[in-house]
Amino acid sequence: MAESPRGAGIHCLIVTPEATILDVVSRSVVLPLEDGQRGVGRSHAPFIGRLGAGEVRITTADGAEAGHRVFVDGGFVEVGHDVVTVITQRAVPAAKLDLAEARAALAEISGRPAVGADALKSKLRSQRAARELVRVAGRVR
Amino acid sequence: MAKARALDRRRKSVRNIRKITRTMELIATARFKKAMDRSVAARDYTTQLAKILGNIAAVGGDVAHPLLEIRPAKRAALLVLTGNRGLCGGYNGNVVRQALAMLGQWKSERVATDVSVSGKRGITALRFRGVEIASRYTAFEDKPEFAAVAPIGRAYLDTYAAGEIDRLDVAYTRFHGIAKQEAVTETLLPLAPPQAAGKTVKLASDDYDFYPSAGSILEELLPASFMARLFKCFLDAAVSEQVARMVAMKAATENAGGLIKNLSRQYNRARQSQITGEIMEILGGVEALKQ
Repeated sequence: MAESPRGAGIHCLIVTPEATILDVVSRSVVLPLEDGQRGVGRSHAPFIGRLGAGEVRITTADGAEAGHRVFVDGGFVEVGHDVVTVITQRAVPAAKLDLAEARAALAEISGRPAVGADALKSKLRSQRAARELVRVAGRVR
Repeated sequence: MAKARALDRRRKSVRNIRKITRTMELIATARFKKAMDRSVAARDYTTQLAKILGNIAAVGGDVAHPLLEIRPAKRAALLVLTGNRGLCGGYNGNVVRQALAMLGQWKSERVATDVSVSGKRGITALRFRGVEIASRYTAFEDKPEFAAVAPIGRAYLDTYAAGEIDRLDVAYTRFHGIAKQEAVTETLLPLAPPQAAGKTVKLASDDYDFYPSAGSILEELLPASFMARLFKCFLDAAVSEQVARMVAMKAATENAGGLIKNLSRQYNRARQSQITGEIMEILGGVEALKQ
């Protein structure tokens, strides 16, 4: 997978343990890295990054911004040779998210007690992810 | 007449069994195809993870992480993956045998064990042999989902990090191909250290930047790769079970066919000899009337 198979554009893959859920050629990709978003255009320098929770926004080759928006919950991204590979344990297309469900999940996590530093850390982490999920789900409508 | 009728009745019941086994074979074939597709779809994830891991190992130099550390095993965990149902040849038995061998070895090394079993068949078999089972799972059928496997994996990671277990082995049936599956015990924790990506594939321009740092990525990557390997065990077990059932049911259907052929021959012979006997009786009667 050294080069983009279809020539122009960035080859973007989103891979989860169960399947490859997206495999498209795009113009640009915005990635939710752990410490903020990062845009990737053509001929970007190769990097490997850790992802936080958030949405991957893909502008398709014909320039449609609404092309693909996918919520990912952590994971990694590898960028190189105009190939962007997102590896995550959970990826849901934004159109399939349910706002009410996301809100309920956030409320449930927020209400959960956390004792000890580790539990608190993991609670804050899942809370952040749930909040991000609500935000992404809310933007769809 | 009685013998012929009994043979006919047996032949009918064997025919019914053959119908059932043939249907089971067809179902197993369909499920196998689906399970296989899932397994193939999951391969991408593992390949990509391995690629990143290789790149980090190549760039980052020495890789140190608690998950890679080999500690003297005082307490070990064993996860046994079997099926919920039988009628699949030696599938469950082989895995149970593997598990018992591993437990025996640990016992002789005085390692405390913590056994978890997935699948009703494995649970009953191990309970029968007096193995204490810590947790049981019966929810995994032919389509194990990552969302269901993840909590199990996370629990193992947590207990491993807390030092409650020093090693984790999984006894399952590895799928090599449709013609070969074998029951194995594989050590998942501590993880095998990542191999540096081969120099031949690596180009000069492949010097990756890491955000935020190679160490931080590794911290997340190693648990993810453990999860992927655990998930692969579940997928392999599911595919192998369907193959085993397919093969077993095919053999059963063929056997039933042979049995029916034999029974038919016996039945025809019995009927013929009965007819012959009746004709002889009639002839005897006619001869008697003539006199």
